[in-house]
Amino acid sequence: MSEPIVIENLTKYYNKFLALDNLSLRIPANENVGLLGPNGAGKSTTLKILCGLLRASSGTAYIDGVSVAEKPEQALARIGVIVETPEFYPFLTPEETLGYLGRLRGMGGDELKRRIKEVIKLVRLEDWVRVKIEKFSRGMKQRLGLAQTLLHDPPVLILDEPALGLDPRGVVEFREIIEGAGKEKTIFFASHQLVEVSQICTQVAIIDHGRLLAYDSIAALEKKYQSLERAYLELTEAPLE
Amino acid sequence: MSEFEKLRVVAGYELLKHIRRKRLYVILGLTLVAELAVLILVPVLGDGYPDSVMVMAAILSIGPSLATIGAIFFAGDAIAGEFESKTGFILFTNPVRRTTLVIGKYLACYGAVTLLVILGYVIVSISLLAIYGTVPIETLASFGLCLLYTGSVLSVTFFFSSISKGAMGATVITLVFIMVISGIIDSVLMMTGQPHWFMLSTNGDTIATVYGGYEAFMGGLGGGGGMMPFELEAPDIGLSVISMVGYLAVGFLASIWITKRRQLA
Repeated sequence: MSEPIVIENLTKYYNKFLALDNLSLRIPANENVGLLGPNGAGKSTTLKILCGLLRASSGTAYIDGVSVAEKPEQALARIGVIVETPEFYPFLTPEETLGYLGRLRGMGGDELKRRIKEVIKLVRLEDWVRVKIEKFSRGMKQRLGLAQTLLHDPPVLILDEPALGLDPRGVVEFREIIEGAGKEKTIFFASHQLVEVSQICTQVAIIDHGRLLAYDSIAALEKKYQSLERAYLELTEAPLE
Repeated sequence: MSEFEKLRVVAGYELLKHIRRKRLYVILGLTLVAELAVLILVPVLGDGYPDSVMVMAAILSIGPSLATIGAIFFAGDAIAGEFESKTGFILFTNPVRRTTLVIGKYLACYGAVTLLVILGYVIVSISLLAIYGTVPIETLASFGLCLLYTGSVLSVTFFFSSISKGAMGATVITLVFIMVISGIIDSVLMMTGQPHWFMLSTNGDTIATVYGGYEAFMGGLGGGGGMMPFELEAPDIGLSVISMVGYLAVGFLASIWITKRRQLA
């Protein structure tokens, strides 16, 4: 599939508030695309519609050509997701949690055990693998969230502020993990952190008030606006009609 | 992977969750305390144990009945909790139908409460055997009615959990609905001589009245049946079964329907 994520004319109302206004985007395969925008721009709403957590008022979202609204299970099988700060059942351990989520995705036996070990090592939670999650800090939950995202080795990652709550070392480690994974995967990544986005992504989509303002390579935006930061500030400051 | 296999996975891990939580053991403790209180207080406050094994069996059924109310505490957060604590951001982004998730959660709650109910009836049976040397066959019917009542209480709780924003709200609303609202309407209908077989509180009474109705029960305790200002008519078991099946089916299906449509913003 050349465009694993396709968003067509997405509109979303929360009662009378217009959160997404006819938004269309196509994310090419094996590209890392950042979704930028100020608070309330519609970033999380876009990602939540892609993950089947919200229904669009109109328009369609596709994962690998499968409509998320019509065949959510089929679409969700192809993605790994972090939405906001992940919360887990506090009574379970990371090993049990990943076992649960892996089994829900059809994994099992030695393959599941091996993958749990691998992703736990990747996010550096080896010493906490049998500790109940109720004892975890926000950053540790974020690491576990990343582990569950990568557990089934999905071709598409959808990440909403995935480094939120991580300490500086955690942010660097997270970036390395995502950069490593991003070589073989398509990543659609919402963040406020321009530095983080420019280090991980090759392209960015900038939205505000639910509308697409720009969608181009970081290099092209930097050429046009001198820097990604200036592009972001200039594009998002203009009052919308 | 079939949905049935996913259902087994969901139910298994949900049951593990219940086993890990303190509330299972709190309700287990309350059930044991209730049975112990009956076994100690009845002979101390009265003239020994009642002559009739049926009366004592009816009194002891308070333990398993209490366990069924525990279902509210297991199920109150089953759906609302996923939205309130945002664990749904992880669970609902997996390729599993929400119908499967709700059924799995229901089965796990039912399994946990059934364990408590079975324990309650084991205590009832051992106590009756020790005191009277016999266990009436009606105990089996009481056990069956208790399991059905558990199912209907769970379904009502799942319904409120599916429409509530928070787990605490769902738990409180269900408790108020079953213990207060249903009880008040039930009493009014009973006092005015109207049919009340469709009230959940009446249905719960069948767990005890299957041993012989209110009059036998009051008489066995030395109070007689004529103390009440209105006639106490034992609920019809057959109609109560129909009513409980109705609550079970409607509450359960409504909770699935609502959960499938609910969005997580």
